[in-house]
Amino acid sequence: MAVQELELKPAVPASPLTGFWKMFRENRMAVAGLVMLLVIVFAAVFADVIAPYNPRSYEGIQSGDIYNPPSATHWFGTDDAGKDVFSSFIFGARNSLIVGFFAAFISIFIGGTFGVLAGFYGGRIENFLMRFTDLMLVIPDLPLIVIFVALTKPSLWNIILVIGLLGWTTTARIVRSQTLAVKSRKFVLRARAIGAGNGHIILHHILPLVMPILVVNAILVISLAILSESTLAFLGLSDPLAISWGQMLNFAFGRGAMSVGAWWALVAPGFGIVWVVLALTLLGNGLEQVLNPRLEAHHLMPGRLPVWGGEAESYPATAVRKSRRRKDAAMVLDVRNVSVAYVNGNSQVKAVQNVSFQLYEGELIGLVGESGCGKTTLMLALLRLLPAAGQIVNGQILFDGRDLTSLSEAEISDIRWKDISIVFQGAMNALNPVRTVGDQIKEAIVKHNPAFPQKRLETRVIELLGLVGIPAAYKDHFPHQYSGGMRQRAMIAMALSCNPKILIADEPTTALDVMIQAQILDLLDELRAQLGLAIIFVTHDLGVVAEMCDSVLVMYGGVTAEYADVDTIYNSPRHPYTQELLKAFPDLSRPERKLAFIPGHPPKLDALPPGCRFAPRCSQAFERCVSEMPRLYELKAGHVASCHLAEGKSR
Amino acid sequence: MNSASPVGLERIVPLNRYRYLLNKVGWSVFTILFVLVLNFFLFRVLPGDPARALTKDPRMKEAAREALRVRFGLDKPVINCFDSLTPIKLGDCGVNPLETQFFIYIKNLLQGELGISYKTNRAVSEILVERLWNTILLIGAGQILSIFVGIALGVLAAWKARTAIDYGALFTGLVAWSLPTFWLGIIILFWGSSHGFPIGGKATPGIGAYPFLQQAGDIARHMFLPTLAYTIVFMGEYLLVMRSSLLDVLAEDYILTAKAKGLSAFQILKDHALKNAMLPIVTIIAINLGFTVAGAIQIEAVFSWPGLGGAIFEAVESRDYPVLQGAFLLIAVSVILANLIADLTYTYLDPRVQSE
Amino acid sequence: MTQEYALEIRNLKKYFRAGRPGWFSRFEKYIHAVDGVDLQLRRGEVVALVGESGCGKSTLALTLMLLEEATEGNILFEGRDITHISARERKAIRQRIQMVFQDPYESLNPTQTIEEIVTEPLIVHGLALDGNERRQRVLRALEDAGLKPAEDYLHRYPHQLSGGQRQRVVIAGALVLEPHILLADEPVSMLDVSIRAEIINLLADLRRTRGISVIFITHDLGTIGYFADRVAVMYLGRIVEIGTMREVLKKPKHPYTQALLSVIPVPNPRMRKKRVILQGETPNPIDLPSGCRFHPRCPMALEVCRQSDPALLKVTETHHAACLLLVK
Repeated sequence: MAVQELELKPAVPASPLTGFWKMFRENRMAVAGLVMLLVIVFAAVFADVIAPYNPRSYEGIQSGDIYNPPSATHWFGTDDAGKDVFSSFIFGARNSLIVGFFAAFISIFIGGTFGVLAGFYGGRIENFLMRFTDLMLVIPDLPLIVIFVALTKPSLWNIILVIGLLGWTTTARIVRSQTLAVKSRKFVLRARAIGAGNGHIILHHILPLVMPILVVNAILVISLAILSESTLAFLGLSDPLAISWGQMLNFAFGRGAMSVGAWWALVAPGFGIVWVVLALTLLGNGLEQVLNPRLEAHHLMPGRLPVWGGEAESYPATAVRKSRRRKDAAMVLDVRNVSVAYVNGNSQVKAVQNVSFQLYEGELIGLVGESGCGKTTLMLALLRLLPAAGQIVNGQILFDGRDLTSLSEAEISDIRWKDISIVFQGAMNALNPVRTVGDQIKEAIVKHNPAFPQKRLETRVIELLGLVGIPAAYKDHFPHQYSGGMRQRAMIAMALSCNPKILIADEPTTALDVMIQAQILDLLDELRAQLGLAIIFVTHDLGVVAEMCDSVLVMYGGVTAEYADVDTIYNSPRHPYTQELLKAFPDLSRPERKLAFIPGHPPKLDALPPGCRFAPRCSQAFERCVSEMPRLYELKAGHVASCHLAEGKSR
Repeated sequence: MNSASPVGLERIVPLNRYRYLLNKVGWSVFTILFVLVLNFFLFRVLPGDPARALTKDPRMKEAAREALRVRFGLDKPVINCFDSLTPIKLGDCGVNPLETQFFIYIKNLLQGELGISYKTNRAVSEILVERLWNTILLIGAGQILSIFVGIALGVLAAWKARTAIDYGALFTGLVAWSLPTFWLGIIILFWGSSHGFPIGGKATPGIGAYPFLQQAGDIARHMFLPTLAYTIVFMGEYLLVMRSSLLDVLAEDYILTAKAKGLSAFQILKDHALKNAMLPIVTIIAINLGFTVAGAIQIEAVFSWPGLGGAIFEAVESRDYPVLQGAFLLIAVSVILANLIADLTYTYLDPRVQSE
Repeated sequence: MTQEYALEIRNLKKYFRAGRPGWFSRFEKYIHAVDGVDLQLRRGEVVALVGESGCGKSTLALTLMLLEEATEGNILFEGRDITHISARERKAIRQRIQMVFQDPYESLNPTQTIEEIVTEPLIVHGLALDGNERRQRVLRALEDAGLKPAEDYLHRYPHQLSGGQRQRVVIAGALVLEPHILLADEPVSMLDVSIRAEIINLLADLRRTRGISVIFITHDLGTIGYFADRVAVMYLGRIVEIGTMREVLKKPKHPYTQALLSVIPVPNPRMRKKRVILQGETPNPIDLPSGCRFHPRCPMALEVCRQSDPALLKVTETHHAACLLLVK
């Protein structure tokens, strides 16, 4: 959902690399992992200098030196042969890292090549490579490694080779799926259209985007290789001449450290393994967060309670609008000066500022605006469904004599769906993929009417689906068995399941074909006539609004640009944005008219211009527009516009 | 030129569910056959088989060597065209295939014969069956506990995302994941031995004479430490995967829909998020089965638990090849079958699989 | 080189295999994505190709780009048959036929700078090997695509540009090869309404200044107005109506075109009109209806429509429609 993206997106960096370093530095996990890793790499490289004793030499060792506890001369005590544990520990780091890095290199090379080739070429190549990978994946690694090493000479390089040759399967799978994902992106198709060959595409378009995942995976593979090596050594299968942590444990465990209580001989080498593996794990997880930032925020996190700050500005008097169907309709929703902000630490981004509108029974209001104008945020705010960082910072939402901003979570839960329901943009993911559509409709009914007779449920679901033109047999189908248009209609059926008074339709037809769009618009129009439903229709398409709405609220950059009945908006718009937006629509009845557009692009909510939000793109802007934000001027009863040009004409 | 259908069109052609299942079963059968072949040739290609070394010992008389060759079945060609693989010695391609070492191996397998242990002279199949149950007992208890604890902590962490609970669980998971299994086993053993726990084996010798309840109690006391070590190590990954999977699911649009429907946080978690988030876990459990065995080998080595892993450990030390070969085969086949079960479970859980 | 047509398509078909025959299904099934399309594109002409998703318009574009191989029929580029040519020849042809994609957020590689993106086609084709000349061509392409001053854009990354600017970069990447034909696959449907005309006007300018022929693919005639010279309406893999923009918009003959036009919203509440809303959705292109492909959804279908599959019939010299109602 658009709102999710808006929230907490890191500032756009100048180039991918500088951006990477900036985010890397800010990621505590990644930095901690890197520092831990560097410490151990340093120790391994300079082992000869750091280690106080030579672990291979028995010089100067006496019989009384066996299993001595830690002391000033032997920091980590001594082992079963009387040698300094600390020195062995430092030298052990060297072998662990050598095995880890080289084995991982082999694995990554094989897995990376297989993955890219399989993902990119597909067909027989993919089939063969991935079947082979699956085969290797199910055969348990360690027993096979143990057998290999036991049957061959357990030298360091044999161990590296065996671990490397058996450890590539997950890499191949991950790289393949990433390659597939990259390959299906349009820029690869574009490169083909340019005439680029496979080699060029792999090198310039696939690899740069697979590389980040490969690096994260490589770090994981290194840690797994280090664990494998230490396990082998512990099982007594290491190169007898190469000191390693696993081997130290093997000696200590097998030669009575436990019975004499020499914990230091057991703890030190294990600590080394945990240190390295944890370092790599932290680095890997941190890097993943940096390369593929997730918000780690979700819909169940407790939201911020609304701040009721009173009415900052006087809101326009109740509009006298011509509801086309009912002259005596009662007001069902009164939104007064609502402002919404996204809060991130100390910074606040105002997504919606002082928006007011009223909704009458059976009225269809169009909420029009381009991407990022705050329209979806406003709709989520009405039902208090804002993401965790979003907060209503001002205003009142009056429904049925109650202010929705002051209700508790439990109270608002009762109003949701029963009184006000919402259909989201793109029903692709708005339905739970593992539950049948009928089941999800029933759930809503039972939630708000626990006494609903079990027997009637089934018929009610069929009735609702019938209302939106879906055959009864489809109630037991899963969402993926529906087409896009059907899913959207099923969402509408579900939204109607509790007979709400207000239906919010948030771009319900975006991404659907024109004919499906017409079907859904027709359906909504019929429903409001039949059921007296009040509908808030959110859209970027002024044409759709003209077709069916009673009143229109045009939003720009989080504020109301213009608000009036539909006839006024189309025939005597006052805000330059409305005027120019209307001109941008091709009018098929007037072939001679040239298509117009508004230069520039809509403002980003975190970088709003100081004055009028539209001033940078406005052809009629003057000095005052740049410095001062216009307030809403009332031009006539029920017609307001936030433009300095409207000041003189206002009442 | 790629000829895959344009995006979107393939979805309207549902794949038959039974065909999918048959594919999976067929693939598992093929994998088992592959393992059979691998298991046979691996031990004949790699150097170091003491039986073969023995039959070449120049200190022995020719007749004694020949008798040994017959005893180990080495007098027959490995397979058609090859008398031996180390070193490669070509042979007659026209021999009766049923008279080759490979087919005798297959024939014996079908009869449940895995050879005779070099060390104990007992039938390998007999040793392994007894040990298989011990391993299943340990892995079963450990996996159930680690899945349960890992998932519970993972759910808690994801639900309370970006709070101290979440960060604590995340760090616990990362540390648990980083622990080498055998080392954790040693540390726990070290601790347990000074707190009155038995330090190894499956039961106190002679306990068989006591009533059943007392026996069970004794086994439970022996199992406690290895199961604890096992649970901690595997819990980490389940925790991390569950947390990340649930975080993804909870950010989905259908969770917002559920919230808009007026459902409470608990209802949403229970009815809309958990099942969806569990799906990746099933895959992880399947992929992890190999690691499960690796964990068992280490735990059994540390705690002298008489299981399959322990058998491998001991067989490596004493170079007892028939046991090693048999244990590997048994483990590989078990993992493949468990994998198949996980695959089928996934098919059952996720309605989308049936049409993809 | 005095060919009248920049591109000529003759009875073009593209089928995809849908599921292999196996244990359970004995017969091969095909998706009839493009099923017999004839179209001529004159030099410097703009043809709009209209249809809903699943009508085969995108597959047609990929086939014309030689990114998919035609199952049947011929594609003639400036009089020369290019349907089945070698990879080397195909590469040469790609200099002349370029494509603009729907989603400007997806069609640029996020790790490349604008300069790298626009230079890439030159490198791929080994053109303008002199660094200075290459740079000049890149700058000119960017300016022609309306990104001025071009120097300001060279070192930026796609994520630093707005949707409209990105689409201009895609166009510049096509222009740098100096193509004769531009295939624009829904180039504005992902853009904000207020800037759509920017891109459409740019394409109109290119046609005028460079004589480029354009095939403009869209699902919504309402977004492009009278920008095209001719319109071809596609339904289930075929062209069901083709004519000049005015003929089709003012006097549509095929019931499908009539319905499509009737649902285009008119941005004027005083002119609400009667809409013809077709029920159901486009059938899947595997099991095609008998007779006229449109008859199951056609509000005017006759008995004869079930049996007989109409060819394109002449309405005027330039206007053709495939409907049996015209045979009277």
